[in-house]
Amino acid sequence: MAEFNIRSDSVDVTRIMEQIRERIREKRGADYTEQQIHELATVKLESFLDPGQVRSDLVEHFRQLDPPGRIDPIPPWPVTAPPPEVFDFDQETIYVSSRGPMGKLIRLIRKLLNPLLKLFFNPTPVVFALSRQAEINAWTVQLLQRQTDVIERVSTQFERVGKKFAAREELDVLNYEVLNNLVVEMTRLSVDVKNHKMLVESVAGRLDFSERRSRALESVVQKRSPRPPDATETEGESADASATGSGRTRRRRRRSRRRPGGAADGGTNAAPSTAGNGSAEATTASTPSSEATSADVPSGEATTTVAASGEAAHEVASGEAIATVAPSDVTTPVAAATPSPASTAPNSAADAAPTDPPPAIAPAPIAAPSPTPAAAPTADSTEPSRPDADNGTSEQ
Amino acid sequence: MKLAVVVQRYGADLNGGAELHARYIAEHLARHAQVEVLTTCARDYITWRNELDPGPDVVNDVPVRRFPVSRERDVDDFGQRSTQVFERRHSVAAELAWLRSEGPTSPALVNHLRHHRADYDYCIFFSFRYYHAYHGLRVTAGRSLLVPTAERDPALGLRIFAGSFRSVRALMYNSYEERALINAVSQNDSVPGVVVGIGSEVPTDPQPDRFRQVTGIAGPTIIYVGRIDENKGCRELFEYFRRYARIAPALTLVLIGKPMMPIPEHPQIRHLGFVSDQEKFDAMAAADLLVMPSYYESLSMVTLEAWALGRPVLANGRCDVLAGQCARSNAGLYYDSFEEFAETLHTILSQSALRRALGANGRSYFNTHYAWPVIERKYLNMLDQLERADQSDDDRPEPLPGWLGRRRRDLPPGRELVDQLPTGPASVTEGTRES
Repeated sequence: MAEFNIRSDSVDVTRIMEQIRERIREKRGADYTEQQIHELATVKLESFLDPGQVRSDLVEHFRQLDPPGRIDPIPPWPVTAPPPEVFDFDQETIYVSSRGPMGKLIRLIRKLLNPLLKLFFNPTPVVFALSRQAEINAWTVQLLQRQTDVIERVSTQFERVGKKFAAREELDVLNYEVLNNLVVEMTRLSVDVKNHKMLVESVAGRLDFSERRSRALESVVQKRSPRPPDATETEGESADASATGSGRTRRRRRRSRRRPGGAADGGTNAAPSTAGNGSAEATTASTPSSEATSADVPSGEATTTVAASGEAAHEVASGEAIATVAPSDVTTPVAAATPSPASTAPNSAADAAPTDPPPAIAPAPIAAPSPTPAAAPTADSTEPSRPDADNGTSEQ
Repeated sequence: MKLAVVVQRYGADLNGGAELHARYIAEHLARHAQVEVLTTCARDYITWRNELDPGPDVVNDVPVRRFPVSRERDVDDFGQRSTQVFERRHSVAAELAWLRSEGPTSPALVNHLRHHRADYDYCIFFSFRYYHAYHGLRVTAGRSLLVPTAERDPALGLRIFAGSFRSVRALMYNSYEERALINAVSQNDSVPGVVVGIGSEVPTDPQPDRFRQVTGIAGPTIIYVGRIDENKGCRELFEYFRRYARIAPALTLVLIGKPMMPIPEHPQIRHLGFVSDQEKFDAMAAADLLVMPSYYESLSMVTLEAWALGRPVLANGRCDVLAGQCARSNAGLYYDSFEEFAETLHTILSQSALRRALGANGRSYFNTHYAWPVIERKYLNMLDQLERADQSDDDRPEPLPGWLGRRRRDLPPGRELVDQLPTGPASVTEGTRES
């Protein structure tokens, strides 16, 4: 995380908050927030999921389902008072009195006056209607009582159903949560899978490139190490001898390569190479080499050696070229043996060098050994020269 | 100069925000003037039950006069009336009925102010929303100052209080955000006002090592001090911390305060309960930061104490006051979501230089604005300014509507009005006339 530049008296909280919010926005660009994951889960899932396996509108469909309305429980029957008593009405009812012993007298008087009453109106139909009404009332009360019982039973059953329904509603909510979480997690996983697929493709591409590069490097090494058979034959030197001392030859080759500094010291003996492999050592030597002997010519500096099969080497110099042909003197330019970042690139000069045909080699007398040809290290050398790494000694 | 500090409850052991605020102010102003505290006999802010003896008393060398509450609060009635005035169109009469239902209904206190107001040069009222403040302000309009302790709650949207804000001689605000709210709801730009706040008694040498030795808590620590309540944002804090703790297994959340909700069982959450001030300050000094998850605060004293101790604060950005204070002090960060919580917390914990700089700014902010000499000076300056203004003592409060007007249901719901008020940190330059 980026550190804030802080001076104790110059902290600006508003600016820090802006930086933090900017950082959060940047993170959101690379990673998905919970909110974005939810948004992704609510939109097209075909982009992330197999549409044949999962319905893309699963969550939306669930949301659009008609939510069941809340079921209000049936209120209990509002019983404010006991039902009214059924009033029995018969023909005598209109004459009775509730005044005890006096009531009997009153009833008798009313009976006696009944004919007189009938002079004014006929009470018989009224009595009949009222008595029928009493019967109807009694029947209605019974009916209502039955209905009340039925309603109570229905209410009891309805409450049971309501409880089941409420439990089902809670279960639906849980189901929805589970479904929603499932879809969100699937979306998240799908995004992760996509990211990982892209990552795998990227790694595979890099691996492929690395393999091709390593093969190219191997081919460079292979092309450099074997010596063309005709070169040894042209030389006419002892291939048999080199066969016995090949390991030594390689060692000598490395040692002699470490003496490019000798060119600086013994530059007068160096000769520019025309058959070089493009290495820096070959091109930098420009000292005339008319007086040079093969022993005085440091490898890799004024001479360019084309090694072949480790059995013979040709030191080629331009002009008054001196060619030293001795297996023990085989040298390899450092630049060719050790690939630099530039040399590892395809089509570099180092790669092209081994493919160059060896130039015509003029036989030359074996030079006398130099006393200390590689005593001084060159500018390019990173290791001190060794006294025994002398071309001449091997020839002796 | 004789001053009356009028507050709903008063006592050395009462730790409510406004009550503690009033006590601190009374005790500090007593060094410069003759102060008498007028309050009720109640201790419980839910029922207002008379638990203390009426009459004169002395608390920390400050004379106190207590008056009985005529009736306790009926919680059901108060709830119904709150719904009526907060959620529905209503009348002034309904608001006055709500105020009586809320309490503390102490006509004796109001009568004392009415009959003895000439005995006091100024009366400093605390908490605008209570019975004693509304009616007390009306009988002492010419010599009253108000410390509103207002926050964004629906009571602020009631019509009767807008008149209170306009009729006082001066307002002592706790924050710029509180001032902006009151200005917006009452248009009292002409009333002198000053953002004062409150100081705190913070020890100069807290012992964080002692806290760590006693509790065994090591490693990075964040602390919350206060009532552990859902209304204080603690549920959100727990949720956020549990998520963050997955990536910070060494971090510990220390809780100090009375729990009003279940505290989740988590190995990185330590609840210490109610502790002494010394232990509290030791814990705060030992913590890397104070977290303040509350949504609504008029002034967080704990936040100021953390700054006084040089500790940064991580506040809830949805609280305008806290976010504004963090921005003005440059002493704390704030969050609006879990992502911001995680980023800000990680930023403070992982960058010691930033943490130290925020803490240093907090200490400086506290010393500049909330040290007691500063607070006292602001009060005294305001009183001097009012004396020089030579305002007549016969100021009358804004008249209430007539009998029919008080019963006309033409007032919008209080919550609706508050929801329309401006949000976010307030500008320091805006507001009423500064003293």
